[in-house]
Amino acid sequence: MSEIKLKLKKETEIPLEAESITPDNFAGKSINEIKKLVVYYGREELTIGDFFNVTGKSEEKDDLIISINGNLSNVKRIGENMSGGEIIINGDVGMHVGNQMSGGKIQVNGNADDWAGAMLKGGELEITGDAGNYVGSAYRGFWKGMTNGVIKVKGKIGVEAMLWASGSVPAKRLPTLICGSAGSFLGIHNHGGTIIVEGDVDRCAGADQIKGIIVIKGKAPKILPSFKKIGEVKEIELFNGEKITGKFIEYAGDHSVKKNHSTVSKKTGELNKSVNGRLYIAA
Amino acid sequence: MSLDNLILLTGRTIDQGVALEGGKTTKENVRAAAICMFDTDDFKKLDTLVGTPVKIITDHGEVIVYSILSEEGPHPGIIFIPMGPWANQLVNPDSQSCGTPTYKGMKAKVEVVKSGKVLDALDLIKTLKEA
Amino acid sequence: MAVKKIKTIYDVLCPFCGTLCDDLEVDIADNKVVEVRNACQIGTKKFYSSNPNEHRYETPMIKKNGKLERASWEEAIDKAADILANAKRPLLYGFSSTECEAQSKGVELAEILGGVLDNTASVCHGPSLLAKQDVGQPGATLGEFKNRADLVIFWGSNPVHAHPRHLSRYSEFVRGYFRKDGRNDRYIVVVDPRNTHTAQIADLYIQVNPSEDYELLNAIRAVLRGVELDEKEVSGVSMEKIKELVNTMKTCSYGVIFFGMGLTQSLSHHRNIDAAICLTRELNDHTKFSIIPMRGHYNVAGANQVFTWNTGYAYSIDFSRGYARYNPGEFSSVEVLLKDQVDASLIVASDPASNFPAASVKNLFKHPLIVIDPHESPTTVYADIVLPAAIAGIEAEGTAYRMDNVPLRLRKVKDAPGECLTDKIILEKLIEKVKEKRGE
Repeated sequence: MSEIKLKLKKETEIPLEAESITPDNFAGKSINEIKKLVVYYGREELTIGDFFNVTGKSEEKDDLIISINGNLSNVKRIGENMSGGEIIINGDVGMHVGNQMSGGKIQVNGNADDWAGAMLKGGELEITGDAGNYVGSAYRGFWKGMTNGVIKVKGKIGVEAMLWASGSVPAKRLPTLICGSAGSFLGIHNHGGTIIVEGDVDRCAGADQIKGIIVIKGKAPKILPSFKKIGEVKEIELFNGEKITGKFIEYAGDHSVKKNHSTVSKKTGELNKSVNGRLYIAA
Repeated sequence: MSLDNLILLTGRTIDQGVALEGGKTTKENVRAAAICMFDTDDFKKLDTLVGTPVKIITDHGEVIVYSILSEEGPHPGIIFIPMGPWANQLVNPDSQSCGTPTYKGMKAKVEVVKSGKVLDALDLIKTLKEA
Repeated sequence: MAVKKIKTIYDVLCPFCGTLCDDLEVDIADNKVVEVRNACQIGTKKFYSSNPNEHRYETPMIKKNGKLERASWEEAIDKAADILANAKRPLLYGFSSTECEAQSKGVELAEILGGVLDNTASVCHGPSLLAKQDVGQPGATLGEFKNRADLVIFWGSNPVHAHPRHLSRYSEFVRGYFRKDGRNDRYIVVVDPRNTHTAQIADLYIQVNPSEDYELLNAIRAVLRGVELDEKEVSGVSMEKIKELVNTMKTCSYGVIFFGMGLTQSLSHHRNIDAAICLTRELNDHTKFSIIPMRGHYNVAGANQVFTWNTGYAYSIDFSRGYARYNPGEFSSVEVLLKDQVDASLIVASDPASNFPAASVKNLFKHPLIVIDPHESPTTVYADIVLPAAIAGIEAEGTAYRMDNVPLRLRKVKDAPGECLTDKIILEKLIEKVKEKRGE
């Protein structure tokens, strides 16, 4: 186990882009080598040493902990593409934290801005405060968003979390989001993601959901008209086999999606409710 | 008098389009864009004359504009201000991270003002510059 | 009194809205517009306001002691280039009311500066572009709609006000090859929270609650797929009306949805368009259907085209790394201003002070501001440098893209007054000077 400590010297006026801060990049490097890693400030190419005090020791990637202190709300892309080790951020952090990471853990002891854990491929992102919009979402134009891993947000998250999530039970890819409360369009275009909300959600949860499970333990103001009520359940089985108990109303949907399997049978004229996405709301 | 729980919409009107092409800093532009269009029944509740300056308040700001009756009603509960600097004092700058601010659908409150006047475009923007 | 010689120029394009009417006739005498035929009220006014008036800039202006004062081109360009070359993160915004050749120069300048590049789609149909990137877009050109469409739906758009000649040229009254009886051969539907002037002449008006378009589209899509919904009413529209609309959509021979700011600027933004496009796609199982945004500025579609062929992205582009990156919400002008993340701005043919939310405008004035514009506007009046431009499409030639992405040639009908130069030349001068200052 080795640890590198970073401390932000001074808050920046325009955003600093620091995707070089990952255990992958730091592993086995000396303090001086780490200080020379590139960060982007506006159109300038500067180094970690220009903005951070660096102390500690770095060895193997998977045993490396990077802890960062200071107000990092204007520092973007920390932990981008990381594949192992751990980052602990004490303070608020800017956009794209942990985007596309495939392994390891990022712990944010504070709030995160938009695109936290965007297109996550694995690993764990935990945020103790709130997170912005597009948590774990697909970037613009991508049809595959978060494919695996877990995002936990204690507080509330913004709109369009888990956009285009893409999971598969046989392939053991189970993208999961657990949050305190959520904004509108939670899990839009969901394609196999699991979302558990401890509190309330805003409008249009599960819009265009093709498959997936969304569990809302609080209230939903109004669910989309294309969701069909199935009945009351006492236990929900998630894709990973875990169970949630409690009284929930089960809805199937989104039935407005053409790609969905929820076709109306030509023989019986009845709607096939059984194979598409599920939305559970506390009764 | 005042009205609560209205929804504010903003957008293009042909008069505003003509006025801005004629000069953005002109009186015509004030007459075309510094106005708030009311549903006829809503306006009755304000108990005032058409043309009286009214203060529109949203969570994002406030502005004084002239009141007129909407030709595109009935739309109870909805007020309309043509796009432009006056409307933009009231709109929601939050785009929910899609880049485009929410120019339509803000909750709004209307008050008939006793003092204060409708500013022209330059004076209005000056208040922002000096803020 | 001597009779002035009047020159008539035919087939002039109107540089106002995305309809880009191409049948104007303009009479010019003594380098002044004396008559405009065929244009709408707004277009006519635009041509007339190119005549000398007190709102027109005829020389470069530089702010000295808090006041804009006349300056030479050399001084103004030098000062502007100085500001831009020294900025860490300049914003280049506007471009939708000028020609494609100038837009292309704007991209070049932004790349050299490593700045943020954006056009006005950012505050109007940006969400439409986002949705298109997510789910595609079944579209066609306006001529197709004119000749074929027997069902025309205006959703959140009010062409009577915003695109005054759209109805008579393409969508409502015009006679088409298969629509020989014009208006009588078309069924017009308007979906809007207000009973707009467009709605007042429609066959079916659907009054939707403000900001609830998504739910209505969602219900329509479900009903189209044969799902029996539990609700009696969605977004203030009764289920009977929804079924009637779905039936109308399914049974038409060619339908088209023209959508406007009502969908893009209200809550849910691009998700409204996403749902509308999915609906259109699904309608093509039953009949032929298209969807097209009602673009506002006459060449905003061109700005998207030019930016895309140069950088790969249509708007909200960041060049700080030397290559183009795209993310509306992160690099879009309203957002970067709101978060105060730029340190200088160059505005080309636009008026953000009037059109951006107040909170963003405040930060626009905090840093040096350079504006290229023919006319006085709240942006130019409080700018540090104003570079006077010839009005593209009236005093300068160039290319513009109609709302359906058909490129047309703008015409020059008169000379620009004073020392005005075209946007393209001004940008070229800036590029040259910036390069010089950067020692390239």
